[in-house]
Amino acid sequence: MRNLHVRGQLDRVFTATTALSIVLLTLVLVAILGPMVYRGSSAVFFQGTVEFRKMQKNLFGRGNEQALNAEVAETDQLRRQVYQMIDGFKKGVDVEALSEQVREIYRQFGQELRDKNVPTGQYTKLRELTRRIRDKLETAFHSQDINEIKRAVAEVLKEADNPHLKGTSAEKFFALARQFLQAAGQIDLSKHQEYAAAVQEVEGILFHSDSLPGLLGPRPGEPPAPLTMLRYGATRWDQAQVLLDRFLWVDQWVQEKPGEPLVLKRRPRAELFPESLRPLFAYVEQNADKMLHPRRTIYWQFLIDDNINSHYFGGIGPEILGTMLITVVGMLFVIPLGIISAAYLVECASDGWTMRIIRMGINTLAGVPSIVFGLFGLAFFVLFLFPALGFEPKPCILAASMTLAVLTLPVMIRASEEAIRSVPASYKEGSLALGASRFHTFVAVTFPAALPGILTGVILSLSRIAGETAPILFTGAVSLGAVPHSVFDPTRTLSYGSYDMAVGDRLAMMVPHNQYGMVVTLVLLILILNGAAIVLRTRVFKKLRGH
Amino acid sequence: MNDSNAAFTLAPAADSPRPLALTPGQDLRGYLSALLGRAVLFFITFSSVLAVLLILVFVVIRSVGFLSGSSIVEFLASQNWRPTAEPPVFGALAIIVGSLYVSFAALVFAVPLGILAAVFLSDIVSWKVRNVVKPIVEILAAIPSVAYGFFAVLVLAPWLQKQFGFSTGTNALNASLILAIMALPTIISVAEDSISALGRELREASYSCGATRLETIVRVVIPAAHSGIIAAVVLGMMRAIGETMVVWMASGNAPQIPHPWWDLAQSVRTLTATIAGEMGEAPETSLHRGALFAMGVLLLLMTLGMNLVSEYFLARAKKAGGRT
Repeated sequence: MRNLHVRGQLDRVFTATTALSIVLLTLVLVAILGPMVYRGSSAVFFQGTVEFRKMQKNLFGRGNEQALNAEVAETDQLRRQVYQMIDGFKKGVDVEALSEQVREIYRQFGQELRDKNVPTGQYTKLRELTRRIRDKLETAFHSQDINEIKRAVAEVLKEADNPHLKGTSAEKFFALARQFLQAAGQIDLSKHQEYAAAVQEVEGILFHSDSLPGLLGPRPGEPPAPLTMLRYGATRWDQAQVLLDRFLWVDQWVQEKPGEPLVLKRRPRAELFPESLRPLFAYVEQNADKMLHPRRTIYWQFLIDDNINSHYFGGIGPEILGTMLITVVGMLFVIPLGIISAAYLVECASDGWTMRIIRMGINTLAGVPSIVFGLFGLAFFVLFLFPALGFEPKPCILAASMTLAVLTLPVMIRASEEAIRSVPASYKEGSLALGASRFHTFVAVTFPAALPGILTGVILSLSRIAGETAPILFTGAVSLGAVPHSVFDPTRTLSYGSYDMAVGDRLAMMVPHNQYGMVVTLVLLILILNGAAIVLRTRVFKKLRGH
Repeated sequence: MNDSNAAFTLAPAADSPRPLALTPGQDLRGYLSALLGRAVLFFITFSSVLAVLLILVFVVIRSVGFLSGSSIVEFLASQNWRPTAEPPVFGALAIIVGSLYVSFAALVFAVPLGILAAVFLSDIVSWKVRNVVKPIVEILAAIPSVAYGFFAVLVLAPWLQKQFGFSTGTNALNASLILAIMALPTIISVAEDSISALGRELREASYSCGATRLETIVRVVIPAAHSGIIAAVVLGMMRAIGETMVVWMASGNAPQIPHPWWDLAQSVRTLTATIAGEMGEAPETSLHRGALFAMGVLLLLMTLGMNLVSEYFLARAKKAGGRT
């Protein structure tokens, strides 16, 4: 016999451990649902910027046009300075663009001369002169020596007073030359190309790049980008802050000491540029909120809107619709089958071998892996039954619903059976004693009394159908596609959409609110259904105990 | 027989269409329609069994082409899974091992926790507290698997990678942790049912001998409920081995046997994930598709086997519960 004290202690430790297991489970639940719900709710509740309101107005026709226009005017006012700063800087560095501009002026001037019917001799002379100016400027643009640039520009500017060039498009040469000289004086010319690349990156972050949207959206007057998502800036303040951070800071791999591995360092992006452009960074940082006007937004239309550009904008309307369609069609099959099976098992069951086989069938069905249901749905419904009935053998809502109906049949049967069994025998006996037939007794007495319990089963089956993904992978779910018109079309669903967005491309990772929004909608839908089932069951239980 | 029955038959009430007590001779139509109704109901009820048979038949039929055309030995013994190579190699050993590997790893996490929680619910807390705690387990069971997979990929994987310095966060550890969470509700509810079904007498006898609660549970209750607990573990295993979305998203999908065997940080691939991932790319009537259906057959056989085992133990647990 061990010491009583030790035994008591051990007992207490054991009790604490068992309690801890439940605490751990609760923590796991909170760790899974907490961040999911928090981040998912930001799909609906967030700080929307003026870009969001522009997008809503243009794509969905929502919002007050006048207020929006006023807001746009206000923000554009502040944005103009950004455009000017960048343009001014580019005058000094963007060599190719400048050369192109000069060539354009040259062509334009030639056209002008031809239009004016200038005599051939003078035409040749002036063409000769402007070609010289053009070549001089191009050398200046490509030069890395400030003295050479000054010399070349000075030679060009000598022609500024040429009466033949006055009042023609050739005057643009001189304006350009002066701007360039001024800009070139402020930067390190040996870094031309570096600056050009850096300013291009900045433009990508501020306006938009070929594939990613920027902070402020495209500049006014720019031809609309082919991708809708590139036509708007940061629509959400959280997105804007990420972009702002990328705009202000740059991550670089640097070697601090020779021989040591490279380390990732964060340094201000402004340091990549000469003094002349540095004010831009301070300006954007200070005025970002005034240029974007973040405002608290409730985007409940997330639940009805279709998505745009693979979920970059918009909501999950078609996914919700698809899930509902599949669920409703599936329930049409599973409710009658389940209730009749349960009724038969309770009312007509003798304990013979047929019953044992049926029970085993139900248990086995409950244990079949969900992906095998997918294989079955594909092999039986899609590839066998549909062609046999004359339908097109392709995945569709009907096939998915029927597959899910088979999958959830055991849930429905078990819940209904339990409900029917728990109806007190006195009800039934009373009815039978009054002379009602067994069928009539079931329809008029047992079934109504069992209805709340059966409803619990219905709700549980509903939530099971809505949440399953694997069985519909091959039988009716698609990640992108039109909204279904009939049950013979495949559909998007919340469950498959959640999978698709979780493992999706870079674009999906850029919109975590939509990723989480999708999965949270699914989880909340299912938890609400299950909560309803639990409440219903408790009430039924209380009622039946009360009798 | 007929005569004696007739003697007790009451005269039909005025508004009743037919007599209440029936023999075929007295009311052939009524008797037949009742029989027919019963047959229809029976057939509808039988649809569950029919579904199981259809599943078996159709999944097997689709795999016959593969199983007859290439060697089953290669399928079960080779580790080379190269379905798109020329000529293709279908060796599923690494994938089968992967399925078993993550499921067993999940059980290692889930079984102790599940039994503790079951004991907590059945023996330690009051009925009222139990009714508050039980929904937690039910919510864990209700969360759809794709949401667990979502959590595994986007939350758990980066966290594991950062915290433990793994080369990838989607690995056997990630998958088995999530599978453990998913198997827990099954294990808890089945184990709790069998533990609480034992009745008070057994426990009271133990307490009256002077045993503490710990001693009662470990020496008396759990041994007495061992059938039900084994059934719970088998059912949990079934849940884990048949799960698709989580392992597809979280296991890394590398068809390899972890080496060394205890290294959970390596990526593995499971049968379910292979079917889910490759079915879309496998052309109809190809060997590849046949091989995937053969995997389905394998899964089906495994779960059918486990189902039989669990039913055996559940039946034993019922008997044991009834005896005490």
